[in-house]
Amino acid sequence: MRTSDVRISRRKFLIASSAAALAAACGASTPAASSAPSSAATATTAATVAAKPLKIGQLLPFTKVYAELGNSMKRATDLYLKQKGNKLGGRAVAPPIYEDEANDPAVGAQKTQKFIEQDQVDVMMGIVATPIAYAVRNAIDSAKLVFIETNAGGNALTRTTNNCTPACKSKYIFRASFSSWQISNPIGTYFATKKGVKEAFTFVADYGFGTESQADFMNAFQAAGGKVTGSLKAPLGSADFLPFVTQLKAQPTKDIYSFFSGTDAINYIKAWNQLGMPAAGYKMNGAGFLTEQDVLKEVKDQANGAVTSLFWAVTLDNAENKAFVDAYQKEYNLLPDVFALQAWDGMTALDQALTATKGDTSNKDAFVAALEGVKFNSPRGAFEFDKDTHNVIQDMYIRQVAIQGGNAVNTIVDKVARVTDPGK
Amino acid sequence: MSPEVFVQQALNGISFGALLFILAAGLSLIFGMMDVVNLAHGAFYMLGAYVTLAIVQRTGQFYLALFVAPAVVGLLGLILEPLLLRRLRGRHLDQVLLTIGVSLVIADLLGLTFGREIHSIPLPAGLDRSTQIFGGDYPVYRLFVIGFSIALAGALAVIHRRTRLGALIRAGVDDAQMLDALGVDIDRLFSRTFALGAALAGLAGVIAAPVFGIFPGMDVDALIYSLIVVVVGGLGTLSGAVAGAGLVGPADTFGRVLFPQFALALIFAIMALVLLLRPTGLLGRVRIAR
Amino acid sequence: MFAGLALAVAALLVTFPAWTAEWESSRYATTILRDMLVLAILALSLDLLVGVAGMPSLGHAAFFGAGAYAAAIAAQRLGSDELLVGLVAAVAVAAVLALVIGLFAVRAAGIFFLMLTLAFAQMVFAVAFQAADLTGGSNGLAGVHRPTFAGIDFNGPEALYQLVAVVFLGVVLISWRIRSSTYGHALAGLRENERRMRALGYDTMRLKLSAFVVAGAMAGIGGALSAYALRFVSTNDVGIGRSIEAFVSVLIGGTGTLIGPVIGAAVVLYIERVLPSSIPFAETVLGLVFVIFVVAARQGIVGLARESYARVRR
Repeated sequence: MRTSDVRISRRKFLIASSAAALAAACGASTPAASSAPSSAATATTAATVAAKPLKIGQLLPFTKVYAELGNSMKRATDLYLKQKGNKLGGRAVAPPIYEDEANDPAVGAQKTQKFIEQDQVDVMMGIVATPIAYAVRNAIDSAKLVFIETNAGGNALTRTTNNCTPACKSKYIFRASFSSWQISNPIGTYFATKKGVKEAFTFVADYGFGTESQADFMNAFQAAGGKVTGSLKAPLGSADFLPFVTQLKAQPTKDIYSFFSGTDAINYIKAWNQLGMPAAGYKMNGAGFLTEQDVLKEVKDQANGAVTSLFWAVTLDNAENKAFVDAYQKEYNLLPDVFALQAWDGMTALDQALTATKGDTSNKDAFVAALEGVKFNSPRGAFEFDKDTHNVIQDMYIRQVAIQGGNAVNTIVDKVARVTDPGK
Repeated sequence: MSPEVFVQQALNGISFGALLFILAAGLSLIFGMMDVVNLAHGAFYMLGAYVTLAIVQRTGQFYLALFVAPAVVGLLGLILEPLLLRRLRGRHLDQVLLTIGVSLVIADLLGLTFGREIHSIPLPAGLDRSTQIFGGDYPVYRLFVIGFSIALAGALAVIHRRTRLGALIRAGVDDAQMLDALGVDIDRLFSRTFALGAALAGLAGVIAAPVFGIFPGMDVDALIYSLIVVVVGGLGTLSGAVAGAGLVGPADTFGRVLFPQFALALIFAIMALVLLLRPTGLLGRVRIAR
Repeated sequence: MFAGLALAVAALLVTFPAWTAEWESSRYATTILRDMLVLAILALSLDLLVGVAGMPSLGHAAFFGAGAYAAAIAAQRLGSDELLVGLVAAVAVAAVLALVIGLFAVRAAGIFFLMLTLAFAQMVFAVAFQAADLTGGSNGLAGVHRPTFAGIDFNGPEALYQLVAVVFLGVVLISWRIRSSTYGHALAGLRENERRMRALGYDTMRLKLSAFVVAGAMAGIGGALSAYALRFVSTNDVGIGRSIEAFVSVLIGGTGTLIGPVIGAAVVLYIERVLPSSIPFAETVLGLVFVIFVVAARQGIVGLARESYARVRR
């Protein structure tokens, strides 16, 4: 027997055994799921269905760059359920299945398949990164899985677009967070009109969210008579912001509109101060994530005076917000951030919808209709979904960073009421 | 770009380059002398930064971290080299896999221990103001980084040229086998060199922490930058690390600002260009015979 | 007889959805296996360089992603869902890209080759990121249609899985033929002693370049399948993460073997994607697996299996 034959035989042996082992591993790794195969029993009564605990699938980042957001949103979700005694709309809720989106659309797609095919969740929530939301939109729509999206703000997800590219709205997808248009458009108009700003310079992170925000701001600002004198972009995750702020300082327009979040925002604000921008008369403005609590807790007073727009601030003075902030602080010894708020509102919406359907999620149309009819007072103000786009309709606050009670927070300066995403 | 802005950007570039030097010096040493592909270098940097975080959070003493963090990372290197790397002499693919594994473990354990939030530490006391340079404010800390880096380069040069360890290292870069034949305890030398390289990475982590922040994924960025600097500058010599950092720092800074569309790839394009013109790097002395 | 065994395994692989239909998690397992096969194709193609020809490339995802984008964009622009259109586009674009990059990269060796391939891959990433009109930029390319072929529509998950399985087997077959051919032996000669090959009269530059292009084209096929499977192409598909994923899959499985990259891909994907559902320290496990394998199982999983098989046989 020639050696090549032997080698082939060993290889085939290995293929066979590994394939078998693999198949066994995949089969063995399924947790003992409840009885019936995927062919759903549509003819069950509401009572039978309500008896089965509600399964929620939460796709959030727990590793890589957005891990902090995932943790924040998990905290809010867990707290909400704890407060409600693990019951939503009268129905018992199983502990949510949390999966890591790992900032990779391929991983997000696979975990979404897991929710649909293996866990057979009744409702899906989460997704932080817009590309991941875009990637799984079709799978969710095809599976008729109700999805309450609690962060990703890419405009297309709740709009009518050409060829559904990069994404488009779906009957089953509801967005409880925001569309980036909602954050950057009203402030553009506000700047030109109420604030009387004539010229602005934009500086954004060079990726989807940044460029989309910049475009929305520019369109609104220019439509209202303002002039954008120039723009600068920084690659996502830039380590060093000194070079960019040096360029900003070298140009004459004092009002800078920026979009950054997380580490970028922190480094930007630090560089801003180190180069003496405030003293030189430059004013930092931007979309709210620039100065959200995750950033403020690190930069503290270095962002004082920054004017940003967002649909919430930790200092919002209403009963629901006080209750939310107090409960969160008591449980976690931390101030909540807007991501926690988004998750919280997602749960509230789910709760109210389930109350309307008496806990039934098997009738998809009724579930969707119930979500469309959701209306409540959220810590951010009046909350409801747009019947057409399923994007949240909310107030946009103009905020300014200040120190209150020893913490750097966003104080409310003004408000643009009932901002509805245009949907096209 | 006006002259003042140019000068300021040049200063930015140089301070960034200074940081890159501290980061890359250790890798250049390890690679050049021990012929070890150490892809855990970024993780060592990250460990240094997190140790700094722990120290600053507990004691508020940044300057304490300046000594403790490199020591901790160096100690780790001293343990890892004989334990894992010694048996892999000359086996580069194995070194790649092993060091990737080590970096995954370090990064994940750090995330599990400290949480995966973004952390930052304030600029150390005394260096947290800005001063007037060429008519504009400039953070003193960046100037400190430049000064520190020059001092470190000087100290390393002295060790390299004037001490026995330095002589052994120089000889090791030239011909490790000969050194072994001459009766030098190569194993001990290599362990110490690796520890020194790791400690330098840890030191870079301390210095960079107040500037760049501490967050998950920082090891990958650092690793890529240090590889670029080392390859561009040439392996095995300190002057290579200086040349590499001196080119990459300013090039990256000016590139990001002048060519934002290419910013992501600019530094790689520069590296590719250098390699095509000078295949062993600007000042490379080591011939890689495969 | 062994050909029969191979056929049996191949048949089992292709019909996986059918004989596991009774399982609780059959569909999910099919999805996971599908993703493993796609990564396995990428790993196999990379092994042609790393394992056979001794060219350690850390930028191989560039061709994978290029193939993915090409298949998706060709289908959209040409308005055709024909499988051949997508595959040909993927292979063509990936091969041309590999040719262009290879012309520069193959002049280097060892760590310099590694860094050059990484550099070029990052440049491809930058292009994919910036050319938003073409590739969707950082938001990715959505709405990729699954292909049709000779009247068969591969929209359904089982059908698409079978397409992936069949193409995978085809790639395994091609890889096997290459490795056992004179050409494959010449490539192995490159790894063992390039100087001698040159002395024997081989044009080593040409040989290396051809290997680079063939490996790139093969990776492009994997990319096309990825685009079809996910119905999406993102910049992650050309990114350094994907390149490293493929690289470690090859090393773990055992370089230079046919089955090694496949098993390596399965192990890596399992730990990266399936394990995190159960434990929060999956990355640590992955890292430890790498360390243990280097220390204890030099030749990768395949080598380990061979040794134990040999021991059992005795």
